[in-house]
Amino acid sequence: METDATTVIRLRGFEKRYRRQVAVRGVDLEVRSGEIYGLIGPDGAGKSSLMKAVAGVLAHDGGRVEVFGITVDSEAAAERIKGRIGFMPQGLGLNLYPELSVEENIDFFARLREVPAAELARRKAKLLAMTRLAPFRDRPMKHLSGGMKQKLGLVCTLIHEPELVILDEPTTGVDPVSRRDFWAILAEMLRERGITTLVSTAYLDEADRFHRLSLLYEGTVLATGEPDQLRAHAGGDDTDLEQVFVSLLRDQGVAEEVTASVPSTTTPGNEAAIEARELTRDFGHFRAVDRVSFRVRRGEIFGLLGANGAGKTTVIKMLTGILPPTSGSGQVAGADMGHAGHRIKRRIGYMSQAFSLYRDLSVMENLRLFAGIYGVPRRQRKARLRQLIDTTGLAGNERRLAGDLPMGIRQRLALACALVHRPRVLFLDEPTSGVDPLGRRRFWNILLRMAREEGVAILITTHYMSEAEQCDLLALMHAGRIIADASPTELKARLERDAGKLLELDCDRPLVALETLEAAGYRGVSLFGRKLHLLSRRPERAREKIEILLRSKGVRLLALRPRPPTLEDVFIYRILEQEAAS
Amino acid sequence: MNLHRVAAIAYKEWREVVRDRLFTIMAFGIPVITLLVLGYGVSLDVERIPFAVLDQDRSELSRDYLHRFIDSRYFDFKGEVSDERALEALLSDSRIRFAIVIPPRFGQRLREGRPVAVQSLVDGVFTYRAQVSKGYVAAINGDFNRRLLLDHLARKRGLSRQRGETMVEPVQLEVRYLYNQAIRSRWSMSSGLIMLVLMFSPPFLTALGVVREKENGSIYNIYASTVSRGEFILGKLLPYVAISAINVMVLWWLVILVFGAPFKGILLFYLPASLVFVVCTTGIGLLVSLLVRTQAAAALLTIVITFIPAMLFSGLLVPIESMNPEARFEAHLFPAIYYLQAVWGVFLKGLGWKGLWQPVAALVAYAAVIWFMGLMLFHKRPGR
Repeated sequence: METDATTVIRLRGFEKRYRRQVAVRGVDLEVRSGEIYGLIGPDGAGKSSLMKAVAGVLAHDGGRVEVFGITVDSEAAAERIKGRIGFMPQGLGLNLYPELSVEENIDFFARLREVPAAELARRKAKLLAMTRLAPFRDRPMKHLSGGMKQKLGLVCTLIHEPELVILDEPTTGVDPVSRRDFWAILAEMLRERGITTLVSTAYLDEADRFHRLSLLYEGTVLATGEPDQLRAHAGGDDTDLEQVFVSLLRDQGVAEEVTASVPSTTTPGNEAAIEARELTRDFGHFRAVDRVSFRVRRGEIFGLLGANGAGKTTVIKMLTGILPPTSGSGQVAGADMGHAGHRIKRRIGYMSQAFSLYRDLSVMENLRLFAGIYGVPRRQRKARLRQLIDTTGLAGNERRLAGDLPMGIRQRLALACALVHRPRVLFLDEPTSGVDPLGRRRFWNILLRMAREEGVAILITTHYMSEAEQCDLLALMHAGRIIADASPTELKARLERDAGKLLELDCDRPLVALETLEAAGYRGVSLFGRKLHLLSRRPERAREKIEILLRSKGVRLLALRPRPPTLEDVFIYRILEQEAAS
Repeated sequence: MNLHRVAAIAYKEWREVVRDRLFTIMAFGIPVITLLVLGYGVSLDVERIPFAVLDQDRSELSRDYLHRFIDSRYFDFKGEVSDERALEALLSDSRIRFAIVIPPRFGQRLREGRPVAVQSLVDGVFTYRAQVSKGYVAAINGDFNRRLLLDHLARKRGLSRQRGETMVEPVQLEVRYLYNQAIRSRWSMSSGLIMLVLMFSPPFLTALGVVREKENGSIYNIYASTVSRGEFILGKLLPYVAISAINVMVLWWLVILVFGAPFKGILLFYLPASLVFVVCTTGIGLLVSLLVRTQAAAALLTIVITFIPAMLFSGLLVPIESMNPEARFEAHLFPAIYYLQAVWGVFLKGLGWKGLWQPVAALVAYAAVIWFMGLMLFHKRPGR
């Protein structure tokens, strides 16, 4: 391709190695001015290495990196681009300074970049208002919520008004509302200053936020293009991108059995396998969990959703008897968790967020160890482990060290270890975070089988909306409370009843349209790549009104069609409703 | 060099250190605690050595002999036992460090003018203390012999005590201890500990401070900005130098006030020399932080390369002169040895720039090399 003035980033045959391990190889990439460009892929796909190299903070081993037409091949060359770049590394607020207040953090970044005082005051006021952080100016950063930390990180990255911002997994672990705010700020930056953005994410459902994107897997690019182009490639408009990713992997020869829906061979009885009644937990003055109640019957998969810090893990810890509740009670597998700590533990399996296998033991040794810990009788042990290896698809890996396993297989081993004593109830705390879509599908196949065929009750937390869709029941937690609680279909139906239909709007000047529609009082207007989403109570009459409105601003409406709401839409609506009420 | 950016980094760092309670305690508490604990704890004066006796004679002379030990301030009399096995038990339990065995007919043999052997059993595990104990025992024994001789001369030749003494000891040894007249090891130890504290505390803080940024990723704010390497290092390290400069004053005051050590020199030497040393050791912290990735590793490595040499290879506990050539060479690789000369010189000898410019010059050179290495090793576009 010819170099034109609008190309901001150009990568040719990019390669990065860590010692002998190749992290990224042969990547070509081109990002044009004013684009929101996405890098999507699971952990270990090479996103971070690539972004750091583009930001000039990591030396690469092969190929060519050009930013603003400057070849970044030395420390000195990298210095020449840094004044025009803003870079936010991975990890929620980790690059900020916890002891400093919101304002002090911003001031530090501004002074580092020599932003003049008057200019700083102006930008700070504007960015703080936009991120709704203004009331928290003096709060130490360590006391901010996850979503606020992420927004502060963004403000600090934008304070010197860079031409190119590079954001590494900015939305991981953040609540849906903060995530929406985040995309709105980016859209605003794009509208005002034509800023170019390179963003990475592990969530495929965010793909529609990008103008163009590259799907990365194990250091190579699987596909590049606009979201719709990628969909078309996989066979249609309505395919979700996760399906695209999986079929691309299949093209690469990473085979995978097709997910058959697992028929239920057990009937969910009416008795609760897990029941939480008004569970509450305080940490000092902070109420982490506030009167949480729910029921999970045997054979059911119950999804607990919410941002980091919403209280999900605390709920699980109380139900598994690790943490005593401040008030309220719970029953697990027919025993009261407050009194029967030991008896409960024999009936439940628990795979924690930080579940760490013994990395220096082989798959088989790990399984034997857990069988021993849970007291599986010696005579049954061999048969039980054989069976587990079959159900979790670990066959062929028995002798490999746990530390050498790819993430997807390691998570299945962790699951197998949690299942070794045939628990009736299974608690899974973010078991699939960072795993690629294929790995997550296999993992879910096992879960569905456990629930449908063996009648195991499962409580799972996740950040992936595609996984949430597979749960029988969902509860959304926000600031320690459950704010919505029903099946996925029911949740969406309720949204359409309460807030109206979700419409997707295609036009020639989306940024102008965004501003116009917001000014006209439309709700839920949000930019998705080149398209807009909005909510309308009377979708049949909306088209005419919107067309007229947009035409008055010189925007041509290309298409307006209803779209099924996503769970994220549901959660954003419910969180805002909750916040408005309190 | 853009001083605004240096100031921005230094200001931010200072704020962080002061607001983080744990870090503040580490910065100002640990130096003081170390000085007090080691200043009181590590005493090289061998006094109150516990001992026991086995008197198989029980005569007037044997009691007289033993009382010279029992009354000495160097010894702590733990009692008399009745047989040798009891002595061995006490020694092996470390309840006593040495024992004296008076043989039967001790007094009688002495009166008959025949030689007699007194046995002294010394616990040799801690060689330094054993040697000092032996020296004390020999001195007391010699004194007793001298008195016997004087008595003998007085009885046989009718010599006065004074005449007798000149005859027995024609050459008299007169010792005068300079600089530390009472040879209080506490004076030397407490002022020497200033060196120890300033050797490990600044690099410890610095290494943690820099590695913390590497560990949680905020170092990328620096990598990704237009701040130069020199600006970052200067701004980042200035607060740690400032903290240590405050400690230089606090420690000086404590050594004088709490340990009663004299300060015979001038502050106009002590302060600049200490500042050079602190700049030097802060640079060591920078080097450590560039070599490791985690705070735990930084803490461990700092202690290994600062505390241990400062204890063993500085002259604080073991005189440099009595080391073997390899150890002496090693000792000169660490800055501790130079600063210890300076600090003892200014405290106890009252020396100033004229007498001590050489060790300070060595420290300046050392600091320059360390900081230069730090600057060269720090990269804003690392390979991993």
